[in-house]
Amino acid sequence: MRDWQPFLGLYLWVWLFLFPGAFAFYCLFYRNSARRILLPIWRILDRVYQISGVIAAGFLVMILVLIVGQMTTRWSNVVFPGGTELAGYMMACTSFFALAYTLNHGAHIRVSVFLNMNAFLRFWLDAFAMLIAAIIATYFARYAVKTNFMSEILNDRTQGLDKVPEWLLTFVTMFGTWPWDWSELWAQSGSEMVFTPIWLPQIAMSIGTVLLAIAVWDNLFRLLINQKTSIKSETVE
Amino acid sequence: MTEIYAILVFLFVLFLLLGSSVWVGLALMGVAWVGMEMFTNRPAGDAMITTIWTGASSWTLTALPLFIWMGEILFRTRLSQDLFRGLAPWMRFLPGGLLHTNIAGCTIFAAVSGSSAATLNMVGKMSIPELRSRGYPEHMIIGTLAGAATLGLMIPPSLTLIVYGVTINESITKLFMAGVFPGLVLAGLFMSYIIFWHFFTKGERPEPEPSMPFGKMMAESLFLLPVMGLVFVVIGSMYLGYATATEAAAVGVVGALVLSAGQRSRFGFCRYWINVFRICNRDRSGCCGSCWGTSIISRTTITHMGNIF
Repeated sequence: MRDWQPFLGLYLWVWLFLFPGAFAFYCLFYRNSARRILLPIWRILDRVYQISGVIAAGFLVMILVLIVGQMTTRWSNVVFPGGTELAGYMMACTSFFALAYTLNHGAHIRVSVFLNMNAFLRFWLDAFAMLIAAIIATYFARYAVKTNFMSEILNDRTQGLDKVPEWLLTFVTMFGTWPWDWSELWAQSGSEMVFTPIWLPQIAMSIGTVLLAIAVWDNLFRLLINQKTSIKSETVE
Repeated sequence: MTEIYAILVFLFVLFLLLGSSVWVGLALMGVAWVGMEMFTNRPAGDAMITTIWTGASSWTLTALPLFIWMGEILFRTRLSQDLFRGLAPWMRFLPGGLLHTNIAGCTIFAAVSGSSAATLNMVGKMSIPELRSRGYPEHMIIGTLAGAATLGLMIPPSLTLIVYGVTINESITKLFMAGVFPGLVLAGLFMSYIIFWHFFTKGERPEPEPSMPFGKMMAESLFLLPVMGLVFVVIGSMYLGYATATEAAAVGVVGALVLSAGQRSRFGFCRYWINVFRICNRDRSGCCGSCWGTSIISRTTITHMGNIF
């Protein structure tokens, strides 16, 4: 149980699985008060999902620009070191950031044969599926964050030739430290390019999977409170 | 014996999760987790995340979102009208008439789009109303369309082949090349079925199309030029060795953008982009989720099961 060590006096799995699960039951039995608690949170979360979708779209455009750039440099015999790795990181960023947003828009594929059978199954089977999905997504998110920290501790670097400027690393690290340490941090950082540490692109994985886990739990709560699913799948117009 | 036991457990958990309508990507992860916990002694979570990260940040997989993006852009252009107008003059002489536009349209659009659903939407948008108004029997309109739309995943670029190629570590370009000929054979078979239908069920034939002067026919087929150009650029660049699958996808997106910029009059520019991104994100993540799921299962679990048995 090394992976689930206590956090604030309780095992991590209690925080990650038991508390949200218990809150799901609370939503089921005390719908109105649960709605009152969640309404302001929903307003923020909807915005967060949307922003992550926009970020994903931005990374998608960056993939295109990067690949076109790589092709033109190759044709003009200029070497563009690490282009493939960078495109791979962008790919990871765009997929992980899009996870939560696409879930809410009914884009993740599911087998809905039994779901469409009758009203009873549509509610209870959906709730069951969301609970299972939420547990899997939370598990996934927990290990994504752990892996991200592990790469930082091991100082895992890229296997390719891609480099990033050191100020970018410092800028990102800044948010993980206290503001009164920032001056020291910037004083230590150089201005040259360094080989990309894996933790930098993996931040996208951590954020994306955590958002996905939140989104699945959130959808479960919304389903239980509103008695109908909040996943709107758009038909192709 | 243990293998059979393992396979039974896998199938049971897989069907249980899929049947209870858990999202496919997450369900596959669940199966992989069960497999890792039961049949291996590696730490399941860490091994799975490592595989997911390797799969998610791979250069080969970048072709996937780009091809979807390209299909989405084309869906919002007037391409499907152009396709029908360009093909109709040439198909009217064949026995079976305009039903052949379904097959030919799907074959052409399959060469610029990676999925069957996109091909179906794209070709059906125009051909179903047109064929209906000409009195073709409903079962033939829908049947030929649905059959031929499956060419979308056979003829390159194909999203399924990208996912498959990433999973089994095979060259995407090679897989793409292998898909062309069977796809064309299949299209030929579909067309010969329509011809058979024409001769065997005389009662269902609609009236023959009015004749059209040759000059008009040529003028109409000019509408095919943009899409044929795109097909040539995307598939040609891969075949002639100028670009890898991913780069061909990028070329395709640029081509589709140019094509839609030529016809963008119908859309407000901003709304258009928002739509394209939205749908594109939407389809892609589903694909990626299942892709990671399968790659986790195949790479991690199966290989480590192999070590143990």
